[in-house]
Amino acid sequence: MLLILAAGIASSWAAAPTPPLPAEHLTIATVGPKSPHWVYVVDYAYNNEIDSRVWLFDGDTHRRIGQIDTGFIPGINLSPDGRTTAVATTYFARGGHGTRTDVVEFNDNNTLSKTGEIVIPPKHAHTLAMLFTIGYSSDQKFVYVPYLTPAASFGVLDPARKKVLSEIDTAGCTLVYPWGPNHVSSICESGRLLTVSLDAQGKESGRTSSEPFFDVDKDPVFAQAVPLKDGYAFLSFLGEVHEIDFTQPKLAMRTPWSLVSATEKGTWRPGGVQIGAVHGSLNRLFVPMHKGGDGSHKAGGTEIWVFDLKSHQRTARWPLDTHVTGPAVAVQVSQDATPLLFLATEKSHLLILDAQTGKLKHDEPSLGQTPQLLLNP
Amino acid sequence: MKKLDRVFENSARSLAKRTSRRSLLASLGQLLTGAALMPLLPIDRTARAQEPARPSPDEQKCEYWKYCAIDGFLCACCGGTSTSCPPGTQSSPITWIGTCHNPADGRDYIVSYNDCCGKVSCGDCFCDRNEGEKPMYRLSRNNDVNWCMANSESNYHCSVSVILGVAEK
Repeated sequence: MLLILAAGIASSWAAAPTPPLPAEHLTIATVGPKSPHWVYVVDYAYNNEIDSRVWLFDGDTHRRIGQIDTGFIPGINLSPDGRTTAVATTYFARGGHGTRTDVVEFNDNNTLSKTGEIVIPPKHAHTLAMLFTIGYSSDQKFVYVPYLTPAASFGVLDPARKKVLSEIDTAGCTLVYPWGPNHVSSICESGRLLTVSLDAQGKESGRTSSEPFFDVDKDPVFAQAVPLKDGYAFLSFLGEVHEIDFTQPKLAMRTPWSLVSATEKGTWRPGGVQIGAVHGSLNRLFVPMHKGGDGSHKAGGTEIWVFDLKSHQRTARWPLDTHVTGPAVAVQVSQDATPLLFLATEKSHLLILDAQTGKLKHDEPSLGQTPQLLLNP
Repeated sequence: MKKLDRVFENSARSLAKRTSRRSLLASLGQLLTGAALMPLLPIDRTARAQEPARPSPDEQKCEYWKYCAIDGFLCACCGGTSTSCPPGTQSSPITWIGTCHNPADGRDYIVSYNDCCGKVSCGDCFCDRNEGEKPMYRLSRNNDVNWCMANSESNYHCSVSVILGVAEK
């Protein structure tokens, strides 16, 4: 009898209903405090190019923080203070077709929401994965957007008053490499840089042309220059490094140096889309390198080579296991004291390495369709 | 007929009185320059194919010799062929060019890579080959820009590869 009673109590305990889940509240997540280990991953979405986007990704927690929509073949860059993502892009009135509208959109990086726009002439340069398809002046008073019709020029915009100020003809030279409050350079087929100076109203006040520093037929440079503390470094297809000091009114070309030894030259090459990144205080250059011949300049890196920018010596070679991820097509490094190296790969992985040891810390698969450009917060 | 001859003779004499040989040369020069520039103007000269597209298996492979400097989706996988745009698209009148070696006859050919425009990306048979490809500052050899840029519908759909002629050594 006691046994039956005990069994009855046990079964009634087992059947006791658990309390219901509390009602939930729908909220919208916030971005949270900025970390130097965040990275903006630009996905050009080749399979449906009208729908490119930027992912903001946290390199420590390995989570997607949010997304910015960026339209068709955009130019994307951050403001010097890091608060705004500016996007030069195209929309078609009926989705994939219809009247083309080109626009520069401004997104607040604290909320990832759009805060304003400037409609520009429908000719912003449609080219893939390039740091120099939109840029800010150092004081953020101007935004520059290269145009291509295919005649080349660039627009000067006022981001505060949301106005187009001027259009400047660049005599066939292309893209915008901004420097200081009022200088914009474009790269020319002649191997020179054309530098235009602007007045306070954003109109041209003068122009100069540099000495030629490369030969497009013998050894072209990647137009995707690597930003330095005092200018830009242009890497050539064969691995020559042309560092250019932009701080002088007349651009100063430093003596070129090479990423490769005499025996490596023509065999090991830099390649991919974003082909270099510099850690400012460590003074280190990171380059995706591959073994290949002529025409392999877009092949991603199977190794990352690390160089000291002062001694020009290679300090490390980090082979990548590319079997699953594919080679690295884009590289970026965080600028803090414990830096992370970010690599976007051919098969759309985001690899996160310790930038001081090369140790793989995380492999994030499927970060978009075709991530090819990485920006620091 | 004689009357017609007289009319032309009179008008020719009158013209000769009013104009110099130099001005005639200048006018002719302008005309010739204009004629030389005509092929550069963005006018759709695409011939309309009579038959539906029947691409060969080779044309659907990235390794096909004509694709040596292509970067995009092969139109032969998207309803067209290596020389025809898919139905309902427009061809780009401006292009980049490549020089490709045909192993079958041992010749090098100049190839025009036109984009087909006006629909969203095809998304099939992506092919990225870059023999002789140059950065954007040498635009005629660059395959990163959207060559639909000057079309009335500038969305990019796919790319074709059209032989222009044998490359001179």
